[in-house]
Amino acid sequence: MFKNLNIWFFLSLLVSIVVSIPILTVFTSFFENTSNYFEILKDTFLFEYILNSLTLLLGVLIFSSVIGVGCAYLVSFYDFPGVKIFKWTLILSFAVPAYIYAYSLTAFFENYGTLYTILKSIFGDGNYNNKIPKFDGMLGAIISISFSLFGYVYVLTRASFHYQSQNLIELGQNLGFSKKDSFLKIILPSARPAIVAGLALIAMETLSDFGAVSFFGISTLTTGIYNSWISFDDLAFANQLSFFLLIFILGLFFIENISRKKAKYHSPSRGGHKKKKKIRLKGSNSLIAFLFCGIVFFLSFIFPVLQMLYWTIIFPKNFFDLNVTELLLNTIYLVVLTSSVLLIFSFISNYGNRVTRSKLLNVLSTFSITGYAIPGVILAVAFITFIAWFDNTIIKSMGLFSIKKFFIGSIFGLVIVYFIRFYSLAFNGLKSGYERINRSIDESSYLLGYSKLKTFLGIHIPYLKNSIFLIGILIAIEVIKELPITLILRPFNFETFASKAYIFASQDLLEAAAVPSLFLILIASLFILVTSRYILND
Amino acid sequence: MPNNFFKIENVSFAAGGKNKVNNVNLNIDNEGDIICVLGPSGIGKTTILRTIAGLEKIDNGKIILKNKVLSSKEIHVEPEDRNISLSFQENCLFPHYSVEKNIDLGTNRQTMKKNKLDPKDIINFLNLEKILNKYPHEISAGEAQRAALARSLLSQPDLLLLDEPLSNVDQSFKEEIQVVLKKILTNSKITTIIVTHDSYEAFYLGSKCAIILDGQIKQYDDPYNVYHFPNSVEVVNFLNRGILIPAKVTGENSLENDDLGIIEGNFIKHYPKGSNVKLLLQPEDLEHDDKSNLKLEVVDRKFRGTNFIYTLKTPSNTLIPVFVHSHHIHQHEVDEKFGIKRPIHIDHIVCF
Repeated sequence: MFKNLNIWFFLSLLVSIVVSIPILTVFTSFFENTSNYFEILKDTFLFEYILNSLTLLLGVLIFSSVIGVGCAYLVSFYDFPGVKIFKWTLILSFAVPAYIYAYSLTAFFENYGTLYTILKSIFGDGNYNNKIPKFDGMLGAIISISFSLFGYVYVLTRASFHYQSQNLIELGQNLGFSKKDSFLKIILPSARPAIVAGLALIAMETLSDFGAVSFFGISTLTTGIYNSWISFDDLAFANQLSFFLLIFILGLFFIENISRKKAKYHSPSRGGHKKKKKIRLKGSNSLIAFLFCGIVFFLSFIFPVLQMLYWTIIFPKNFFDLNVTELLLNTIYLVVLTSSVLLIFSFISNYGNRVTRSKLLNVLSTFSITGYAIPGVILAVAFITFIAWFDNTIIKSMGLFSIKKFFIGSIFGLVIVYFIRFYSLAFNGLKSGYERINRSIDESSYLLGYSKLKTFLGIHIPYLKNSIFLIGILIAIEVIKELPITLILRPFNFETFASKAYIFASQDLLEAAAVPSLFLILIASLFILVTSRYILND
Repeated sequence: MPNNFFKIENVSFAAGGKNKVNNVNLNIDNEGDIICVLGPSGIGKTTILRTIAGLEKIDNGKIILKNKVLSSKEIHVEPEDRNISLSFQENCLFPHYSVEKNIDLGTNRQTMKKNKLDPKDIINFLNLEKILNKYPHEISAGEAQRAALARSLLSQPDLLLLDEPLSNVDQSFKEEIQVVLKKILTNSKITTIIVTHDSYEAFYLGSKCAIILDGQIKQYDDPYNVYHFPNSVEVVNFLNRGILIPAKVTGENSLENDDLGIIEGNFIKHYPKGSNVKLLLQPEDLEHDDKSNLKLEVVDRKFRGTNFIYTLKTPSNTLIPVFVHSHHIHQHEVDEKFGIKRPIHIDHIVCF
């Protein structure tokens, strides 16, 4: 056992310890006493928090599975006008965070909002406000989150449909199945693991959502955690709420993991994949398919972009008042720093696993990727709790200076929590890259006289350069969109597009929120387009 | 020229507790010798090569190259410091480099050999010119194997290990490559251990052959002896070159089988008169002669290009293979009678 104790082991252990801090903090805090507020809330609001979270979850899962699977099915099996464009434009919804969608939805349908202005300009003055439907509260949150997250189901289901063998479909035809029977008995069951994995991801993100639900004023477990920390300064209670949320989330995490493994059975084997023949749609069927995908694309991406653009144009002052360069530089700074740290540690873990083949290291690495399942709010609050405890009990007892300021309200602390949240993205990305390099490649290199370092620099790095680029961009997309961690842990006067948009929106200055929101969407869209082939798993 | 160029002393080979080969002792006396290791699939041949290359560690014994201990319980020289090259059975080309760059990487090692190999010659010999600019995923398994072989050869190691080097090469091209490979190895004096399951390949390439069966080396000898004088029933069965029939020793140079009668020849090992033995009967030991009064029933006939193999049934229901040249007139159908020339004479009588 002790022969495994080397540098790789200790570095992997360090990563695992850092990641485990928030989880352990949440679990230990559950058994701590809290202020009286907990008693009040336990008897009154806790049930409401849970009920609201579950209602939101159910609504989002139903809505996003219908549009996600529907689009994936049409794009994968049918040929109709615009299908090639829809295939990749549908993933642009990833660029629109739910909270920005929520601002757009409200701005468009609110009293004297954009729709009112449109109706007025067409039909003249009138009492339109009563006739315009209002998408706020729970309904607004369900719509916003669904359009923002349906991409997970779309991407995973489409990949599963895409790689479904033509032989499987032809087999169904030979057995005399109708098109409907083929879909229900062959196509859909075979894509089920992918759909479940997509829905589990959506469920995790929905339960973690903070921006949209807080904007619509819905009390969920996430907003409860944030409020009990911000409004009532009760970290212990925040952590106790986190405990309930983590139970749900970890359940979903396991479902997602199991489903993803099953979904791998449907991935293409080399040389064994026969390209599917798409069915060409004609007439009304073609129009229905076009409208379905077109409306989903319009509502999920074009609509929020147009709304934000509209406001930016009619309120140009907001654009000139906002220091875009500073926000851009701050965002780039965070992206570069976070990506670098994540890539370095992911390389250490992956390379350590590869050269040592230690099962213990493998288990530690697997544990380290659980961070992505934990909501940003929980991570941030638990991190603060831990630092406060560590500072009060360990550092001060040793008579040293407080370390709080190094970790809380600092770039350093912000990057650590980003690291915990997005470690799986970098680790799994490199892991899948490494899985494509046969071990005998390394061994061949050693046997040609190359050292381990030369093999790493000369073989691994050049081979993985595309993976590194992709991981960097995926991390960038996440960091740009990330809200609660940034909001809670950012240094004073340090803003990103996301935090700026949230602050304006929370002050009811939706017009001003439009400019940072628009920039955020545009930058994220650019990154998504660059990586679209990878995201679509083509 | 040193004796004991390479030595394995009492080493047990095992990877992950599987494919264990116990207490192996093997010597390569001279630099430039080619050793072929033969054995059925899954018996641990590849593990032996991986261990010699330093990719697996050992718990007992020693592996010594040019009087330097490379592996023992205490010592483990890293693979990159051994100057041993291993060409894997599966594609092990670097996927992000062209074939040319892959081959060029073989020249990284500063060889101490006097006769340096010219990459152009190797590329030419192995017929790789047309695929030099291609990437590993664009070439066939056979081409990848030849490119990996070129890379290993160009590294001109002290010891070259080849794991089924031609298993993916087309049959039509295989013999040509075997000739070229033998020529390169011999001329450049590269000491080589080749693992193969193809006995013909082993007999052609190897100056010595090791037969591994049941977790140990059963026979280590030159190819002629392995073929003609197998030292155990297991080796006979593995090489699948004949059958064992019961016989009784009747004299210094003869024995008798109930079905075939008297068989004459030279015993390679002495047996007392009257001993009951099992005689190795190989397909080429019996000759066709329809004028003979010893006639056996044909139960099968296989056309093998240059020859036919008849399977004959004796009165005691033993099935005997008999080799007959294609051009010889012998068109006997199944169920017909097939004459065997008498007296039967076998040059080397192998009995157990």
